[in-house]
Amino acid sequence: MSDLLTILVVGLLLGGIYGLVSMGLNVIFGVVRIVNFAQGELVMLGMYGAYLSWHLLGIDPYFSLIIVVPALFVLGMILQRFILQPLQNEPFMQIFATFGLLMLFQNLVLAITGGAGYSVPSDVARQVIRLGDINISLPRLIVLIAVVAVAVGVNWFVNNTMPGKAVRAVTQDRRSARLMGINVEWAFMLTFGAGAALAGLAGVLLAPIYTLSPQIGGNFILAAFAVVVLGGLGSVWGAFFGGFIIGFVEAFAGYYFDPALKHAIWFLIFIAVLIVRPGGLFGIAGAEEMGLREQD
Amino acid sequence: MSKTDTFIPQGGSKPRKGRAQVTTFGTELVRILGIGVVFAILLFVLRGDPFLLNILAYTFLFGALATSWNIIGGFGGQFSLGHGVFFAIGAYTTANFYFHWGISPWLSLIPGMFLAVIVAVAVSWPTFRLKGPFFAIATLALNEVAFVLANYFDLITGGPRGMMLPFKAGFANMVFTSKLPYAIIMFGFLLITLLVAAAVLRSRLGYYLQAVHLDEDAARASGINVLRVKLSGMAVSAALTGIGGSLFAMYIRFVDPPTLLSVQDIGVKFLLISLIGGVGTLYGPLAGALLIIPLEYQLRANLGGTIPGFNVLILGLLLVLFALFMRKGIVGAALSLWERYKGKSHE
Repeated sequence: MSDLLTILVVGLLLGGIYGLVSMGLNVIFGVVRIVNFAQGELVMLGMYGAYLSWHLLGIDPYFSLIIVVPALFVLGMILQRFILQPLQNEPFMQIFATFGLLMLFQNLVLAITGGAGYSVPSDVARQVIRLGDINISLPRLIVLIAVVAVAVGVNWFVNNTMPGKAVRAVTQDRRSARLMGINVEWAFMLTFGAGAALAGLAGVLLAPIYTLSPQIGGNFILAAFAVVVLGGLGSVWGAFFGGFIIGFVEAFAGYYFDPALKHAIWFLIFIAVLIVRPGGLFGIAGAEEMGLREQD
Repeated sequence: MSKTDTFIPQGGSKPRKGRAQVTTFGTELVRILGIGVVFAILLFVLRGDPFLLNILAYTFLFGALATSWNIIGGFGGQFSLGHGVFFAIGAYTTANFYFHWGISPWLSLIPGMFLAVIVAVAVSWPTFRLKGPFFAIATLALNEVAFVLANYFDLITGGPRGMMLPFKAGFANMVFTSKLPYAIIMFGFLLITLLVAAAVLRSRLGYYLQAVHLDEDAARASGINVLRVKLSGMAVSAALTGIGGSLFAMYIRFVDPPTLLSVQDIGVKFLLISLIGGVGTLYGPLAGALLIIPLEYQLRANLGGTIPGFNVLILGLLLVLFALFMRKGIVGAALSLWERYKGKSHE
């Protein structure tokens, strides 16, 4: 019984991590209709941002949010404006370009750091909350709280604010949105910026949990794809619940089968869902094809 | 024009006077023969230089592999990121046959090839329902599954430690003391791949694949069995990729998951080479390999030691730049220059 409870808690906390990492990817996909292969690298940049802030300025990684998140927002806007906007109706070239960015960022960090692993010290990271037999590390709990806050926040923003409504209009029909006086390019830039900022947020919050390496983005990007596809493309709650599904699958597979195979198991589930229900469990059927429709 | 931009109409776009010029397999045969003669001379000239022969062998091998990828990825427009799986199947099959039973790699090319085809068809059957980026994501995930499995089943793959293939020089073992025989083998493989790709491109299958690439729904409406066409293209592509994997394993005499199943070093490299040369053109992938492989070696030799990852960084940058500014690759750009030149000379 306590084993089961432990697995559930581990799964829940893992789910929080996966959900948070996937939020940005899903926001970008949902609106701009671009599958950003470089999203994991944006998370990685966020982690290194937290490290740099600690190393240069000596501030606690959690406070580096005020620097890293805006920085990635700007980076996201730049990427959208100069790389992805020219490829708006070129889904194949988007794959090439975002994969190129993945290789670029990863190896840029590798070239600068020489591949040494860093860890970001934080007083918070060492705190553990004990609930009976179960130990919950505080950084993971913070991630879990953050993912709930982000899901609620994004949902509120999209439904209740004017810019949010504009973004939804752009998502539904670019041409009509343009006719209503919405600057579609700006909406895309802001959305891509927001997606990158969410990746930065995830990176900062995960920095105390993981050892930093340039390749760490690769661990996140496939998890994020799995989450997004499982939960539903372009659906905020889809990414939220998809994260927990993957988290639980990984926790249970790691316990009942073999930890070495846990990734293979959720990849297989991911491929199965992708094939049976490409729109995802919470997504709108056919949403996966919208990105391929030509729009102007 | 999103789907047509990577596609280059063959045989010129302007109607010409006199007999209609149709590029057939015969035309391509002559061109491939020409390419063969040039490379044969190059091989002869460089026969005493092991460093350059090594680069040449890799250029031929990756040119051939990118050409194989291009059959389904370029002609058929199915952007697979999972060709590393078929590559690894060929490599592991040959390695196992050689390591455990001492069977000649020349013979185990065939089971490796068939195994690659079987796996390719089995996994593509369901994944071909997906389009564009989603197909790419699914094949990327497939590559990751293969990576995990290759690490796990160490009885077959040697696990993370890999398998070192014993050095027993001899023609039957495909193990040689000099680089020249390897370069000649890769050269032969390149010629075979080009011939197969030309035969596919200039056959019914090739035209069907291009139709599916341009507009899948229209192709289906015209009575093309889209799934069968994609599967056939994938089977041919995977068969050649499997052979390439076998040759690669015998060349470096070492197989392990990071070497065979790294997305950046193997899976994406086929796409990258094809994009830089010209996706969907017959000779584009070869042109891409002629540029990329020597460039990568140069970068690795000069800067790889001092700045880790610098060679991949440059490749990533090239990928972005070509996606932005040269979507038709070297061959596409050269063709449009040629068209413009001819257009001027007519007036």
